[in-house]
Amino acid sequence: MGTDGWPPGWKGGLPLSTLSPSKPERNPRSEVRRDVFGWRYAESPSLDHPLSPILLYAGCGLGALAVALSMPRKNFNPYVVGAVLGAAALGLVMFGLWWKHPESLPNLHFYLFSAIALGAALRVITHPRPVYAALYFVLTILASAGLYLILSAEFMTFALIIVYAGAILITYLFVIMLATESPTEEQPDALNEYDRVAREPVTATLAGFVLLAGLSTLFTVDLGKMAARPELMAGDRQLAIMARKVEPILKEAGLLKEGETVKAEPYSRAAWGGAQDGDPTLDAITVTGPGGERRITRDQWPANLKLSNSEGVAFSLIDAHPAAIEIAGVILLMAMLGAVVLARKKVEMDERAMAAAMARERSPMKGDELGIEGRFAQPGVGEGGAA
Amino acid sequence: MSMDVLMTLGQGPLPAEMGPVTLYHYLFVSAAMFCIGLIGFLTRRNLIIMFLCTELMFQAAGVALVAFSRFHLNHTGETFVIFVLTVAAAEAALALALVVLLFRRKETLDGTSWTELKG
Repeated sequence: MGTDGWPPGWKGGLPLSTLSPSKPERNPRSEVRRDVFGWRYAESPSLDHPLSPILLYAGCGLGALAVALSMPRKNFNPYVVGAVLGAAALGLVMFGLWWKHPESLPNLHFYLFSAIALGAALRVITHPRPVYAALYFVLTILASAGLYLILSAEFMTFALIIVYAGAILITYLFVIMLATESPTEEQPDALNEYDRVAREPVTATLAGFVLLAGLSTLFTVDLGKMAARPELMAGDRQLAIMARKVEPILKEAGLLKEGETVKAEPYSRAAWGGAQDGDPTLDAITVTGPGGERRITRDQWPANLKLSNSEGVAFSLIDAHPAAIEIAGVILLMAMLGAVVLARKKVEMDERAMAAAMARERSPMKGDELGIEGRFAQPGVGEGGAA
Repeated sequence: MSMDVLMTLGQGPLPAEMGPVTLYHYLFVSAAMFCIGLIGFLTRRNLIIMFLCTELMFQAAGVALVAFSRFHLNHTGETFVIFVLTVAAAEAALALALVVLLFRRKETLDGTSWTELKG
């Protein structure tokens, strides 16, 4: 083992396959362990869970109580109690992870972003007003983008913010504001009944948290420590064909002599297509000059000579998965055509809804007092763009 | 604010060790987010909020994918998140067009008012 606890030359994460009984030596924590309350919980090497099951299930139960309490209700809405309980549940689980593996304390930003993401997600499903729910969803997106940044996925961080928070959520907000029921004269600012009262809150919460407990019990039997060196991500063999990127960096570092150029290796799909797990890193960069070829080995490279995250994603996207891009384009085209067809469809209003609308229209209170136009007085407005 | 400053804020100086972040933490957050989205889809009656909850589930899947991508030190997971975004955008476009259509017909967003579709 190296000085930092990782085997020398190791560059990947620990495999999740520690369930396999053929390699019991992969799991060093095979002895009997006791949790906070002195309960034994890992007698077999194959079931060494990173978290004490009691803490995990207590956290899940507490979280279920929190979500069930914060659900919108008719009479009273104890969402503050729910929020406190939810924070306690999350804290309990994170504390349990820390208690068993104090060495695996992630950085503070992980806790910050995950707490914001989960708290905002809870508010998305409990806030009775749809616009606020959508705005809390934006907060979830931003916190998830923070998690992506900690995971050194910089390209996806900004793609997420631009595409999700910038485009998709704006569409949602438009539709929420477009498809709002006209207020009645008794309650101009009332919430709809279907927003105020949740459907089957207890059963759904129970089902959801049983699923969560099951998932978090089963999806790993080990912590899955992540590699400490993200710059080794997927190797950097692609640098050998990127002469135009490598040359200025080497020149700036003073490693290129007069008249020397970086020799790009010819591109071949078999050799370079899509970096995979465990790809070797590049040993040296070949430069050619008046004095013949020479190799600049890895230990001489400047620190900024590395494959950036967006370049890695680009190689993976364009080189390794070109057919998937085509299919994604077809999906988007189909969705666009479908949305156009649906939006142009002429809709007959339901008889009962029409009757209710006409009743609202005939009401003498309507219009001036509410400060809104009588929508159904104008022909064709309710039918949208059915021209 | 340059990228390096952001990265320093996020995980310390780049060449230094990231700190022992573990896959389990991220998977737990992802699973919790997914379950919250699922509960929301089951309990809420507003059609738009129901679709918003499916977006929450997409988002949870994305967090898990990026964590796995970092864990295995390749970019396949991140690439897959791009396709998750694509599907989410297509789904949002179609679902919202449908919601507007349904709203025009019944003047309500209540999902339970469409129980006649059960057949």
